[in-house]
Amino acid sequence: MDSKEFIESGAIEAYVLGLASPEEMAEVDRLRVQDPAINEAILDFELKLESGIMANTMPVPAFVKEDLKQKLRPEFKKEEGRVVQMPLRPVNKAWAWVAAASLVLLLGSAVFNYYLYDKLNKKDDSYASLSKEMNAIRTQNQLANAKIEEMHNGMTMMSDPAVAKVNMPGMGTHLTNKAMVLWDSRTKNVYLMPMDLPQAPKGKQYQLWAMVDGKPVDAGMMENCTVLCNMKNIPSAQAFAITLEKQGGSPAPDLTQLYVMGKTTP
Amino acid sequence: MQHQPGMAETKTKYSEGELIEMLRQRSESAFNYLYDNYSSALYTIIFNIVKEEEQAADVLQEVFLKIWKQIGNYDSSKGRLFTWMLNVARNAAIDILRSKDFKNQQRNQELKENVYEAGGSVELKIDSIGLKKFVTNLRPEQRQLIELSYFQGFTQEEISKMLDIPLGTVKTRIRAGLIQLRALIDNNG
Repeated sequence: MDSKEFIESGAIEAYVLGLASPEEMAEVDRLRVQDPAINEAILDFELKLESGIMANTMPVPAFVKEDLKQKLRPEFKKEEGRVVQMPLRPVNKAWAWVAAASLVLLLGSAVFNYYLYDKLNKKDDSYASLSKEMNAIRTQNQLANAKIEEMHNGMTMMSDPAVAKVNMPGMGTHLTNKAMVLWDSRTKNVYLMPMDLPQAPKGKQYQLWAMVDGKPVDAGMMENCTVLCNMKNIPSAQAFAITLEKQGGSPAPDLTQLYVMGKTTP
Repeated sequence: MQHQPGMAETKTKYSEGELIEMLRQRSESAFNYLYDNYSSALYTIIFNIVKEEEQAADVLQEVFLKIWKQIGNYDSSKGRLFTWMLNVARNAAIDILRSKDFKNQQRNQELKENVYEAGGSVELKIDSIGLKKFVTNLRPEQRQLIELSYFQGFTQEEISKMLDIPLGTVKTRIRAGLIQLRALIDNNG
């Protein structure tokens, strides 16, 4: 019997379906190893049989699987890559202590962190006020330095013989007031030392006038200076006077508001 | 392997080799996969034989326990896993069929059916599923011999005596029936 005849004899179907006698089974076992065609035919029938049965099945009652799983549960091995429920017992006592200690440390750390945070906040606050204070001092210092410089310049000019000192005593109702003009004969630059003038009211400003041949000439406004103010260049003048004028100055002096006045020639 | 779509509950698809290896390692997911993919086919062949659903469910459970216990004995050089399981299921079902308790139960069942239902409906259902669906289409003399040998588990000698036909004729008819059965299964796919 060649392999084709054997394959078509029904022996393979009997073998696969378990209908062959033990001797026939042993023979097919032997033949399938020797003859690939026979092995092929066996596999082919197995696959056809499987899909043929699979195509016409009836559903199994659900309890069968549940019963089986119940029976096999002790035999199942734990598998990797699966979510395994953590056992509730036993818990190693040492771990309980470690957990308790960790909790205490965590709480302690939280309290300490709050303390540090609070302290840092307070430090931030005091840093801000200190820094504000320092800025104020720096500003004061700058002002003082400017004042010192002005005074120094004033003293230098006072001691300079080429600088004319024009005393301007108080006039009319302003007898208690006084000021001085320093007039450099070389540059003709005019400087004003307020000395004793009341704070100008809001919207008003002191204005220096040079009396040139009987006519008042604007010699500049007294800006924010305390000791020595730079005024305009005045080539020649017989007298200087200060009136209180509106902010920014006026083209002509308001003589009712004359505060001080002094002649250049003694 | 061809499976009905949507039949498997398990998402992972294992090759037969992987599945066998995992079963031998007592993997629960492999068992789930095996059950989800093959239980209905095995249940159907068992039902083809014992013809009674409650009994078939008991046998199916027994068959899966056997497969689980005997997977170490399965030899892939002698057949596919499905073939092996199919034979385990058939043998278990025939053992039940042959048991004394089952025979008594069956007799009572037949009596009841004859009295109240005049029979038929159960046979009709059995004939439309599993391997029986193909066997039903065989010629009557072939069908009878496949029925007796495959589904009732009689040996050829027993059949020869029961039907009073020569052993050689029994053998020839069974083989002819199997060739025919194969043709029917082939045409199905």
